[in-house]
Amino acid sequence: MMDDEPIQTGRQLGLYSCHTCGRVSERQGHAAPDAPLACPRCGTHLHHRNPRSLERAWAYTWAAIVLYLPANLLPVMTTISLQGAVDHTILGGIHELWMNRDWGLAVIVFVASVAVPIVKIASLVLLLLSAGRNSTWCSRERTALWRGIEAVGHWSMLDVFVVVLLVGMIHFGPLAGVEPEPGLVAFGAVVVLTILGVSSFDPRLLWPDPADNPPQPNASPPPHE
Amino acid sequence: MPGLNIPQAAARPASAPAPEAASPVLVGHPGLVVCDECDAVHKRIRLSRGVVARCRRCGALLGRGHVVTPTGQLAFALAALVFLLIGNFAPLVTLDLQGIHKTVTMPHAIWLTAQAGEPITAVLACVTAIVFPAMLVLLRLYVLGSLIRGRVPPGFRFAMRALRFATYWSMVEVFLLSALVSIVRSAGIADLVPGMGLFAYAALTLLLTSTTAAGLHSIWKLGSRLGAG
Ligand SMILES: [Zn+2]
Repeated sequence: MMDDEPIQTGRQLGLYSCHTCGRVSERQGHAAPDAPLACPRCGTHLHHRNPRSLERAWAYTWAAIVLYLPANLLPVMTTISLQGAVDHTILGGIHELWMNRDWGLAVIVFVASVAVPIVKIASLVLLLLSAGRNSTWCSRERTALWRGIEAVGHWSMLDVFVVVLLVGMIHFGPLAGVEPEPGLVAFGAVVVLTILGVSSFDPRLLWPDPADNPPQPNASPPPHE
Repeated sequence: MPGLNIPQAAARPASAPAPEAASPVLVGHPGLVVCDECDAVHKRIRLSRGVVARCRRCGALLGRGHVVTPTGQLAFALAALVFLLIGNFAPLVTLDLQGIHKTVTMPHAIWLTAQAGEPITAVLACVTAIVFPAMLVLLRLYVLGSLIRGRVPPGFRFAMRALRFATYWSMVEVFLLSALVSIVRSAGIADLVPGMGLFAYAALTLLLTSTTAAGLHSIWKLGSRLGAG
């Protein structure tokens, strides 16, 4: 049910949508490009593009990349039994599930703990690089990619909860025990940083805007007719 | 997928001040929707129950026909509060190892994690599995409880913004799946029986996903109809 009317953007028409409450506001009268505009309903600052979105998203992404190695190389927990203590990494835990023939769970944990963080970081880099060049390539697909990594981001927290629960469950003194290890902090930090990176990226940067055509810095939308 | 038409031109209300006004004035446009993800402008259409509207340009979710009335949402939040309390105080699992009997709750597991030298991980698990879900439920009760009696609660804006934040960072559904994973992983070590807390968390997950799917825009609108900005 597409129709062929041309798309008009909020920036062209001087319209702002509030991301917090959904109110649509039209700016009347002239405003300096950096004049603070607050949503009359909820007080959120209104922007056609979130300020410094790329810088903030890059910072979170770089921090996530740096912590990715310790998150996967350091043990996330130690199991204690009468045979002694054994360290476990994220990948080691998946390997154990697989060897115990819990194939379904092994796949679920692999997707949540390994595939999702890698795909998120790679996608963020792709989105940030292409948005930095004002690329107009596949805007719809890139927006869908952003929406996808935004939707699945939380699931990587799975292993953090699993270790915390195992620490609570396997607590039988010298017979059997589970202790958390520093790799878990790094892993949790990667999860939080990628969520922050995705949420601070403004997907509107993936779209060409007709208001950009006169190439002036911070070009204000044309005045109302 | 319903078609959403963009307007021929954004109509300006008759009461709008002159464009020459010195400071910018923001006039509401209840008849329009602007996509959060690509900035495309659409005409607002009425959505029937369960219908989803997507952006014509980028495919983003623009709105959802409301399935649950405010009173229904309040009832859901009350039920969620009960399940949240059971989920945190009743045992998630009961374990048995060579006659040693143990019950496990999430707050206790978090406490042991902090004691074992990982306080940051413990805080992270605590806020995403307990604090934000609890904030989400309590703030919904606070806001909806006032609004359905026709009153705007004190601190409405702040409560709603905190509610949005808590909804974003609440991870009850992930916690539920991880409880299942940890049960499987510890089954080889001890004899294990799922407890009431686990079933309460499952019910809580269902309730929260069905109430948060509608988003908060309708509550904001209800608030502004009652005079909150
Ligand atoms: Zn859109």
